[in-house]
Order: sequence, then C-alpha cells, then structure tokens
Amino acid sequence: MNTFMRWAGFIVVLFIAAPLVIVVPMSLSNASSLQFPPPGYWLGYYRAYFTDPNWLVPTWNSILIATATTILTMALVVPATFALVRHRFRGKGFADLMMLMPMAVPHIVMAIGYYSYFGQLKLVHTHLGVILAHTCLSVPIAFLVLSANLKGFDRNLERAAQSLGASPTRTFLHITLPILRPGLIISSLFAFIQSFDETVVAIFISGRDAETLPRKMFDSIRQEADPVIAVISTLLFFAVLIGIAAPYFVGALRSRVPKPSRSAGAH
Amino acid sequence: MTSYLQLSNITKSYGHFTALDNVSLSVDKGEFVTFLGPSGSGKTTTLMIIAGFEKASGGAVEIGGQSISQLAPHQRNIGIVFQNYALFPHKTAVENVYFPLQMRGVNRSQGLRRAEDMLSLVGLKGFGHRHPKELSGGQQQRVALARALVFEPSLLLLDEPLGALDKNLREQMQIEIKRIQRSLGVTTIFVTHDQSEAMSMSDRIVVFEKGRIEQAAAPLDIYHRPRTAFVATFIGESNLIPATITNAMTKTADNPTLGPFDYAGGEALSDGQNVTLLIRPEHIKLSRNPIEGRKNVRMKVETIVNYGDNALVIGRAGELSMRVRVLGADVVIIKEGEECCISWTPEAVFVITK
Amino acid sequence: MGMSLSRLTEKTNIWPWLLLAPLGIYMLVFFVVPLADVAIMSFTEPRVSFADYQKVLTGTLYQRVFVNTFATAAFVTLSCLAVGYPLAYLMAHSKPRTAMLILLLVTMSFWTSFLVRTYSWMVLLGNNGPLIAFLQMIGIEQPPQLLFTRFSSTLAMVHILAPYMIMNIYSVMKKIDPALIRSAESLGAKGWSLFRHVYLPLTAPGIANGSVLVFVICLGFYVTPVLLGSPREQMIAGLIGHQIEEFLAFGLGSAMAMVLLVVTLIILTIYHRRFGLDKLWG
Repeated sequence: MNTFMRWAGFIVVLFIAAPLVIVVPMSLSNASSLQFPPPGYWLGYYRAYFTDPNWLVPTWNSILIATATTILTMALVVPATFALVRHRFRGKGFADLMMLMPMAVPHIVMAIGYYSYFGQLKLVHTHLGVILAHTCLSVPIAFLVLSANLKGFDRNLERAAQSLGASPTRTFLHITLPILRPGLIISSLFAFIQSFDETVVAIFISGRDAETLPRKMFDSIRQEADPVIAVISTLLFFAVLIGIAAPYFVGALRSRVPKPSRSAGAH
Repeated sequence: MTSYLQLSNITKSYGHFTALDNVSLSVDKGEFVTFLGPSGSGKTTTLMIIAGFEKASGGAVEIGGQSISQLAPHQRNIGIVFQNYALFPHKTAVENVYFPLQMRGVNRSQGLRRAEDMLSLVGLKGFGHRHPKELSGGQQQRVALARALVFEPSLLLLDEPLGALDKNLREQMQIEIKRIQRSLGVTTIFVTHDQSEAMSMSDRIVVFEKGRIEQAAAPLDIYHRPRTAFVATFIGESNLIPATITNAMTKTADNPTLGPFDYAGGEALSDGQNVTLLIRPEHIKLSRNPIEGRKNVRMKVETIVNYGDNALVIGRAGELSMRVRVLGADVVIIKEGEECCISWTPEAVFVITK
Repeated sequence: MGMSLSRLTEKTNIWPWLLLAPLGIYMLVFFVVPLADVAIMSFTEPRVSFADYQKVLTGTLYQRVFVNTFATAAFVTLSCLAVGYPLAYLMAHSKPRTAMLILLLVTMSFWTSFLVRTYSWMVLLGNNGPLIAFLQMIGIEQPPQLLFTRFSSTLAMVHILAPYMIMNIYSVMKKIDPALIRSAESLGAKGWSLFRHVYLPLTAPGIANGSVLVFVICLGFYVTPVLLGSPREQMIAGLIGHQIEEFLAFGLGSAMAMVLLVVTLIILTIYHRRFGLDKLWG
C-alpha cells in the first residue's frame, strides 16, 4: 500500500510540475509556433512583450483594475467583516451566506448578467465596469481570509488596551489594526490576484478599451497562439514563485532560529 | 467607616437569566479581596462590571466616593490582568508596560524609563526588549502585572491570572503578587476558583454562588465560621451533619444516628430548629477506644487515602459518611474494613443555619 | 461564563447595520441586480415566454451538452481524486522536506493562472509537442489528434482542478492522529483493511469537500474547454458564451445560465446543509 502510494504520488508530481515549468523554455524559443523542444533559443519574444503596446496596455489595465478592485473590496469588506464576526443580530446567518454567494455562482452566469446590465448602465468596455464586477467577485475570498483572522483575534487585547486608558478609537489604531495587519495584507493580496486572474467576466465586459491581460491572453491563445504568451506565462510563473517563497525567506532571515519541523506521520 | 470601592445592589440579567442578584460590597483602600466561586457564579461578571466592560442592569459602582458607573472603561483608571495576560503581541515587554503611560501623554523617554523601573520591580530587569512570545508564562504574567500597575491605577483587578501556570510557578507567583501588592498598597480584587489560592493570598474572601454573595469575610473566618453549607463545602473539606437543636441554652443538638452532642459556636438558635453541623476532618480524632471528655462515635473504615504527610480516612458511622484527616504517622493504627472510634470536642462543632 | 452569554443576548444595536450597509448596498446593486437580470432575460428575451426554457430542457443539442457537461465534471472529479489522493498521502506522510517541496509545487500550481496552465497543455499536446513526438518515437506512425479534443480539455481541467482536491484532502490527512493508526494496527488492522476501515473513513470529509468543489467549478468551466476542447463537444458554459457572443441570443443564453445556476446551487445547498458553505474553501 505504502510503496504504491509513494510511486503513484511521484508520477502525480510529474504530472503537476511539467505544465508549470514547460513555459520557461518555451518563452526562450525562437520558433513562431508551438514547438517543443524548441529548435533554438533567443530573447526576441521578451523584447516583443516589453515593447508591444498590444501586450503592455492590457498588462497595465490589469494592474490598474486589480489595484482599484483591491482598494474597493477592502473598503467594503473590512467593516462588514467586523459586523459579522463581532456582532450577533437577526439575519446574520443570511448575511454570512450572502458574502459567499459570488463564489457559488458560475462566472459565466455573472458574465452575462454584467454584459447586459452594464450595457444598460453604459459601463461595458470601461475600467470602472470591470472594477465594479471584479470587486463583487473578490468579496468572498477577502471575507473568508479576514473573518478567519478576526475570529482568532483575542478580544481581551482590546479590553486590556481600554483598561490601560486607550479610547475605542485609539484601541483600534494602536492595537486592533496592527495585530490584524497580516490578515489584511493577505486578504488584499487574494483580492488582487482574484481580479488579476479573472478571465470570464473580463472576456465579456472589458472590450478593447479596458482589455485585461487574461482577456488578451485568451483571445491570443484562441486565435494565433502568439509565442509572447509563453513570456507572460513565465513572468507570471516567477511572480507566483517569488510570492510564495518570499515569506519563507523573510521569515528565515528575521528569526535565524530554525522552524520546528512538523512531525511526519509514523508508518 | 468609609469604604474605598463600593458596590451597591448590583444586578445583571440577560433576558430571563439573572447573572448577578443584588450584589453589595465595600472594599477598603489597600485591601486585597478575593472573589471566589465556581464557574458561572457571577464573580467574573462582577469584575467586568467594575472594569466597565459589562453594564449592570441596576446598582452603582463607586470608587473613593465617586460614581464610575457612567464612565467608559478607558476613563476608569483601573488596572486589569487577564487570565491569558492579553499582552500586545506586536509590542515588546517594555512597550507593553509603556502603553498606558503613552495613552496618558507621558513622553516616550520618560515613559520607557518608568516602564523599565516597573519591570525591575516585578523582577524582569533586562527583559524589556523581548516580545511576549519570547517570554515564559510566568514572565508574561509579570509583564501583565507591571503593565496594570505602572500608571498607578486606583484599583487592580486580577482575573484568574494564575490559572495557566503550573503548580510550582503558581505558588511562587502567589507570593510575588502579594509582595508587590503590599509594597504598592494598591487596592486589589483577585478572581479565582481555587480555594487554596484564595486562602493564602487574601485579606478578605468573597464567596460567590449563583449570582449572589454567600459570604464576605477574612479567610479564617470563612473557614471556621462559614455562613452557609455551600461555603463550608466549597472551602476546605467538611463533614456536614443534619441535626435538630434540642436545647439552645445548653447548646446541645441531636442527630438520629450520632445521638445527642454538644456544640460551641453558633448564633441565636431556638429549640427544635433544623440545622447543619459542620465538623472539619482535621478536628476529628481517630482512636481504637473512646476518649473521655469527647463526643465518641464508632466508625467502620472504608477507604484510606494516603498523602504521605497526612491521610484522609473515609468511613461510615451509621447512615453518615464521615471524613477524618489524620497525620501520616497515625494512620498505621487502622486498616480498611476495621472498626474504630472517632471523637471531637464541642469546640469543633459549628452550627450552620442555611 | 457571563461574557459569552452577554454576546448572545446583546441588545439590538445599530452598529453592525451601519458597518454592513455599504457592502450590502453594493452587493444588491452589483450582484443581485445583474443576477436578477439574467433570470428576467431568460423568459423575456426577445419576448415574454418560456420558449427558451422549453428549448433548453427538451432540445437534443442542449440535452447532449448537459449530459456531456455532467459526464465531464464527474469524470474530472474522479480523476482529480485518483490523482490527488496519493499525492496528498505523500505530502502528509513524507519527511518534512519532501512534504514541503510537494506543498510548494501544489501551491504554485494553485496560484498559477489557469490560462497559463491551459497554454502549457496546448504546448504539451500540440502537433509539434513532446507527447506526439514520444508517440512517434515508440513507433506510432500516425498519432491521434490530441489537441482540441475532449481528451485535451479533460486532461487540462484535471490538472487545473487537482490542487483544490489535494489541498482539501491534505488538510484532513495531516490532522489525523498517528496514534489512531497505531492503535488500529495494534488491534490487528493492516494493509488494505487498515486503509479501507480506518484511513479512508478518516479522510472522507476532505474527499467530500474536494469533490464538491471540483465538480461545481467544472460544471461552470468556460475558459479551458473553449480553448482546448472540441468545438463539437462543448460544455454548457462554452455554449452559453457562444450563444451570447455569436448570436446575441440573450434569452437562450440566460435560460441555460439559469439551469446551470440552479443545478450548482442545489449541489451547494446540499453541501451547505451538511457541512456549511464557509468550510468549502478551507
């Protein structure tokens, strides 16, 4: 059983890893079509990406939209999460559920809704339209992360601060906010990524004027399979790698004390 | 006598549930008072009302003659040590202690110096730069204490602060807290459910049960002259014997099993009154044969629990289960299953009317 | 104690409502209304009738797409389980370093845009790709078309959704007390019976979580089937998009979308009743 599981596991590792890393050599390929292994290597497609406004504008749009989405999401979700975690009131169960609903609805359904509704509001093909739609889709993930953090928050810390002479406002600024900072950062990051990666709604409503990177990639893959996609994929791959690895390195540098190793299950 | 902290008819109810029922108490300046009681007895709720985190449904709280009922927690100038210490994880020990001074507008360099001094007082000189998670439980406890004292609060509240510590450290901290409290002379209320902690530390113990104060008195008074059967069983070990007063003048009572016997303590009693008699296990003597001048009863020994220096002998005298505390050396004279004689003097018998 | 009671019965106050109001209004205007728009369009476009529903629920083409979508979602879910279970097991029971590396890999995959992963499969399965080359190398003269088939889109979806399954199962596996396994062994369970009667039931909640999540995402999957699948064997989301983009058939598209939504919500409601929806995303 055990050996079988291990072998099966290693095959699965290959299955998962191969598609992730294959984009790196592809991005350096000098072929104009999808050829693997590449016939030769050059950096031409990197140059193409960094000089072609057809790619740079969508990249910029995506960054702009994701940033605005993050700010709007957090502005709405932070107070709501405090209300839902810290207070009990009639209808709270329903409100909790509503926070998660955008995650439960297939994006294609939302995409049609926004396409038609924003069409009437003249928000189709605008940055604002995409931001408004993406904020709605980012709410559940930001809420899940933040509410988990807030539930783990020891309210005695706030009581202690007040007993020590801090008014409710100063308690919030000096104690609550700094202690919740990691949770706030992580939920902002999740909201950002949710927006940055969102494809389906963007395909339907971003149009050419507010075209996002995923929409551009989708169109490109569908039509011509431009090798620049491999470049973007590689860049995104490394962005994720850095994003995941950075906390470990920062943690390792800050406290040179080695982390206690998790005990591996015996048998 | 003017009291310092005055609770008058504090009531707290949640819907139909009454958490506190007419609690009144006066505490003198500099006094160390312990709130003792089981979980849910109302001791923590009372503490939270004093601190201002809970609003009383009725009644008033005064400190030094001023009502504080309308003040927000941060305006009350009360230091609190929480059960889990509630140290701010993002601040170092000295920053934690400096925090109340910072809130009071003390400038940073002066405030940090005072915080360092306070840390020295609680025995943490040189630990100021550490974050709470780099400190042991006992050290965190001391930081919390220093933080609650540094701004010279008008009252210090300790909410089961020793609950998380192991036994040896707890005893050490009991002595330490008492020492610091005496040296600063701060009026202190200490909440615990541990009766030995309450006995060893307090000037006065307030026993809570079901949202009421059962008794408020000095530790030895509580132990020897409990007002109710609950207090008698909650503090120390006890033999409670139902009895009827046969003659209040000559101080004699009667129990169907044990027969008539004398008592010494007790308030105004009337003949025929049904009462409970308290005899502490260590006031009972165990012997092979009856001892003259004492009330003697035969007991069949059922269980002997040895603690080394002493032992608890549990046996049966007729209908009654009796507990006798004997010195470790004396326990060798009997075995489980044997019959022996237990005896006490009238002074060992205290009459409880409730 | 008193504190927890107080929160239960705290008097109704206005604060939570004030804090919730901005988001509540936002969700009403930008979530509920567009969704309602879809519902309304489904029987008013181009005129008020249930014709589109009739078409969607009885038309052969649509029935085939629904069946195809369900079959694909079920197959992808089972494949994710087959792929994810051993890997989660490996993660939970390897040396810390190995476990950490696999965790890193799965996390990487999870966070890598699925467009990127879709593109990768295009490379891997393309006519000039390594898999075709391998097939030719082992002597298959005319390898079958891999790309733009049901095979390629299913394979890519398994790859894209497997991390959801793995994370869910792993989080349950690593919480299993090793003492439980040891005590089962001491009671005589070993090999298959140990797995079947002890380990598998203990990991069932993770399997349920992962499966529901993968199945539901797969039902509404648009991008990957559209890019990698066969145009003749569309899944429902692709067909909805097609109706809107190509024919501007809002009524028909909305009716299909409503059917997809209702099915998804039924599955999630059943899940919510048993486990609570907030558990689904870990």
